[in-house]
Amino acid sequence: MNTSATMSGGPPASAAADGPPVVLATHELTKSFRSTLAVDHLSLSVRRGDIFGFLGPNGAGKTTTIRMIVGLIYPTSGYAEVLDHQVPRDKREALRHIGGFVEVPAFYGNMSARRNLRLLGSLNGEIEEARIAEVLDIVGLRERADSKVGDYSHGMKQRLGIANALINEPELVILDEPTSGLDPQGMKDVRELVRELGAHGTTVFLSSHLLNEVEQVCNRAAIIDKGHVVVEGPVSELHPAHAAVKVLTSDQGRARQVIAALVGAQQVIVDEEYLVVEASDGSVRELVKQLVAAEIGVDAVIPAHEQGLEDYFLGLTQSSDVDASRARSATGGASR
Amino acid sequence: MRLLHRELTKLFAQRRSYVGWAGLLAVPLLMTLAIYLSSRNHHPHDNGPGGLVTLASHNGLLMPVAAIVLLSSFLLPLLASMVGSYQLAGEAETGTIKTWLMHSISRGGVILSKWGGAVIYVAIGLALVAAGAFVAGGLAFGLHAPTLLSGQTVSVGQGLWLTLLSYLYVLAGVICVVSLALLFATFTNSSLTAAISALVVVIVMNILGAFSYFNFLKPYLFTSRVDAWQSLFSQPIAWSPVVKGIIVFAIYTAGLLLAAWYVFRRKDILV
Repeated sequence: MNTSATMSGGPPASAAADGPPVVLATHELTKSFRSTLAVDHLSLSVRRGDIFGFLGPNGAGKTTTIRMIVGLIYPTSGYAEVLDHQVPRDKREALRHIGGFVEVPAFYGNMSARRNLRLLGSLNGEIEEARIAEVLDIVGLRERADSKVGDYSHGMKQRLGIANALINEPELVILDEPTSGLDPQGMKDVRELVRELGAHGTTVFLSSHLLNEVEQVCNRAAIIDKGHVVVEGPVSELHPAHAAVKVLTSDQGRARQVIAALVGAQQVIVDEEYLVVEASDGSVRELVKQLVAAEIGVDAVIPAHEQGLEDYFLGLTQSSDVDASRARSATGGASR
Repeated sequence: MRLLHRELTKLFAQRRSYVGWAGLLAVPLLMTLAIYLSSRNHHPHDNGPGGLVTLASHNGLLMPVAAIVLLSSFLLPLLASMVGSYQLAGEAETGTIKTWLMHSISRGGVILSKWGGAVIYVAIGLALVAAGAFVAGGLAFGLHAPTLLSGQTVSVGQGLWLTLLSYLYVLAGVICVVSLALLFATFTNSSLTAAISALVVVIVMNILGAFSYFNFLKPYLFTSRVDAWQSLFSQPIAWSPVVKGIIVFAIYTAGLLLAAWYVFRRKDILV
């Protein structure tokens, strides 16, 4: 089970030599709470300028991983590394370069946004009033800067969290589900904001359970499930091959065997009642021919890419019997 | 210092801080009023708990020490456990502790500044008590050279000096309660749980101290040491109980703080 994580894991020495420097890496990061393993030998790496999507269903271990990266909790084993500073060992040095929030950004409700930023923002070193005004401007809270945060809406608090993350101009910005609980307009605004950050060269680590969000905003992503990395790579390569089709037949079990024999077992995943097959256009014709030859009734062959990543994602994180092999193929592709 | 400054900013911005201070300030005022009214109505025996309180009924200068006789048994420990626990567990309740800890600061520094903030809060409270008592007592009974428990009269300057010493001594005792509450706050994310736990311990210690059967424990209970400052108000001053009290307070505070740091240092912040 860990093979996938190990293979997708930490920056291989050779890969680290070229390309932008690694800003954040986790090395076999593991956390267990009593008997449950929340994060399981999780390794990944984020390079300067990446907008890195950290994608997974709720409960996959995303927030626990982030807590370890920022030193709020201590790993059972493994460590994180932020610009050559190990966490938890050199936590204070590492945190100098990080801005962000975990879960819901927390502030003092009885103080204004400006006062909160003055109080908390300067914990890493003095900041100027002009900078406070600037970040409030960036997140669009200038007009409400002097209202009490307790009176803020959820979306405004979320934006204040981003302002606080940016205040020290950190090398790495970590945002944990920044759009959760926002209305569509709020989501759009935050995503726009994240894209702008990326455009200015800030490295962003964005956790999300929404595939389309990661698709819209990120250039690289890791999909995690049950505490380990299932796939890591450029967002464009996370897609199933364009010619993927969903197949529905009278006997899915036998159909799966037939298709596996044709295109390889790794290319077939089960998504609810459908088989999702990654196949080139030519092989679809052959596939149908073989199914018919095997006397399996073909009910439907649907282009899968129209279904978007959600199905693919569910396929990856739910059918654990195939996700390991899937991860191998996907990461193999990513690192080439 | 940077952290402590923030703690104070925070304390001064919280409404509950002022409620606590107002409660403390109310005690000397009400007390003075009660003593004043009963002395005017010629009820010479209705002078409250006696001792220093009785002496204060003739001299506003002794009102501050009379006030802490009343306060040190309950209201001060209560406020100390509230502020000590709230400083840490209250931040866990609002989640702000994680905002703090995501910065380049040490957890030891955080614990120390939370503790320092609570201590300063209590010190301000005591200062308010003293100020309120001086003003109210002075208005009601005037400020004269005080008569001590042993019957001698000393100068006003000497009286003020003894008052200051006894306040500092009581502060040192209350700091034990603050440290206790802070330690409990490292175990829980509920400030109420921590405050009540600390208060329960203080009350249990008080009960143990009240029974002669447990006399063998008494030297080790910080609560049994709190009243030792009253020996300052007899001539010649018996310094030994005061010095021993300070030593016990210091040991408790150091031990509790160290334990709080030890727990908090590696604590998983899951709020």
